[in-house]
Amino acid sequence: MSDQVRSDTRLSSVSRDVRDQIADLQADYIAALDSQDMKGWLASFDENNSSYFCRSKENEDEGLEVGYMFDDCHERICDRVKFVDEIWAGTFEEYQTRHFLQPTRCKSLGEDLYSAQTNFTVMYTDDAGITKVLASGCYDDEIVVNGVARLRSRKAVLDTNVVPRYMVYPI
Amino acid sequence: MDAKTDPSAISHLPDLAWPPAGVSDSVPFGVFTDQATYDLEQERVFRPTWNYLALEAEIPNAGDYKSTFLGDTPVVVTRDTEGEIHAWVNRCAHRGAMVCRENQGNNADGTYTCVYHQWAFDAKGDLIGVPFRRGLGGKGGYPKDFDMKEHGLQKVRVENYHGLIFGTFNEDLVDVEGFLGGEGDVSYHMKRILNRPLKVLGHTRQFVDSNWKIYAENTKDPYHASLLHLFHMTFGLYRSSQVGGVSLGDEWHSVLFASAGEEDESTKKENKENASRTYQEGYTLADMSLLAGRKEYDDGVTLVILSIMPSLVVQQIQNTLAVRQILPKGVDQFELVWTYFGYDDDDAEMDAIREKQVNLIGPAGLISMEDGEACELVQNAIIRDRDARSCIQMSGHDFKDEPHLVTEGPVRSFWNRYRLLMDF
Ligand code: FES
Ligand SMILES: [Fe+2]
Repeated sequence: MSDQVRSDTRLSSVSRDVRDQIADLQADYIAALDSQDMKGWLASFDENNSSYFCRSKENEDEGLEVGYMFDDCHERICDRVKFVDEIWAGTFEEYQTRHFLQPTRCKSLGEDLYSAQTNFTVMYTDDAGITKVLASGCYDDEIVVNGVARLRSRKAVLDTNVVPRYMVYPI
Repeated sequence: MDAKTDPSAISHLPDLAWPPAGVSDSVPFGVFTDQATYDLEQERVFRPTWNYLALEAEIPNAGDYKSTFLGDTPVVVTRDTEGEIHAWVNRCAHRGAMVCRENQGNNADGTYTCVYHQWAFDAKGDLIGVPFRRGLGGKGGYPKDFDMKEHGLQKVRVENYHGLIFGTFNEDLVDVEGFLGGEGDVSYHMKRILNRPLKVLGHTRQFVDSNWKIYAENTKDPYHASLLHLFHMTFGLYRSSQVGGVSLGDEWHSVLFASAGEEDESTKKENKENASRTYQEGYTLADMSLLAGRKEYDDGVTLVILSIMPSLVVQQIQNTLAVRQILPKGVDQFELVWTYFGYDDDDAEMDAIREKQVNLIGPAGLISMEDGEACELVQNAIIRDRDARSCIQMSGHDFKDEPHLVTEGPVRSFWNRYRLLMDF
């Protein structure tokens, strides 16, 4: 990566205020998921227009869009809350997750829109109290920042190519 | 199949309490936990039968290859420079290193070189180059009688069945059509789904911590589908009261199919009264387009689960088409590889329908997530009591084609054939 490109996408390329709002969004997002609060997860998305995708790096590299979760409109993100909280309730193990994030890149896309890349590691703990890695990867986000930050689109791209067991909660 | 198909040839292992020969309405749990059984399955159930390896659409061009497994043996499927498809064991003929290390790719020159000492093989698996064959400066080199032809990779017999590539170690096995039981519902439904060239939409992969046979049972069990998968019930995608049935192919493959359409009110009521964890009527989604889909086949069948033993499930659920490859990884783990596909001639709208409906299936699928969970619940609970047995008696003790979905017949048929192959 050239010095020019790197400095344009460094975290410091955007204002401290914008960085703080994005950091709050990321923290709220993982705090919601780690407490199985699906409505809190939903609140991280822009309610006018948003999407959420979760797929493997294998598919991403091949230009294939499908994967684990494909929520291409805000309505389907709302529906995912209903699936987990209501329809699936009682059939899955309510495993405990812990998300750990590290922002790596951020840049302005004009107006109040920003793109951001953030590495993640997600651990999960099962009913027996055993903790393992669920997934490692990178979020590729578009974020609207105007007093409060919301996800316009989030793509969770998993380096982990074979996930353990099954996935109930989004990453 | 080989000689082990004669029922009188069954001998009981003294340490596992099987029901009498010919009756597989229960199985001893030890069959899911024994290492010796697992090892024997590789020899008797996987290697001598047709195993799914790849979609032809995954290796469309000359030089393409894909690494996968036949049972737990690593194999590579290749397309040579002439366009022919081959497969070989991914283990160097020199000292055993893995030759191909990528999941998939293209070797335009058709050469596969082992990194360890750079033996080179062609797409057929034949040895074509050995460094220092004649030594260096008159020193070293291979003996005069060293014959390159004797040091190729171990070859796997392949067949391309309507765009699905199968492999076997058994040179005497009938072709795939014959393996599926010849003309019948199983081969009919295979060809119905594989009716024209396919297009790959993506993959997902999951490790399930259970014996592979617990999943084999699951894919042959229409009984669980409306009870475990509440999404099915909630949105009427599948109910036990639907018009549908099960058919067997060569007695251990099965197809489970169901048509959309209203059940009559009394069956619907009876259905609901039988389930304690039940669904709510009149549920709606914010985006009902997930379930809108498009009618693709004239027969009105909206759900087909083909369970092709030992390694494959081919499915149509609404507009989702997928193959699921079952790869055993040990006595208590298997990998499930989902490959989603559509047809080459799908229009953009159809692509979009299939993409969003992929939410229904896979490791996070609205009607398949619970199968991984159910398999692990079994594996975790059966430890120690090897001779305790399950109960597989829904719809009787035998197995046959049935015009309804309230049955475990296909599960019994699987066990019957499994015992013949294993000599249990
Ligand atoms: S092990 Fe492959 S060349 Fe030696
Ligand atoms: Fe299921």
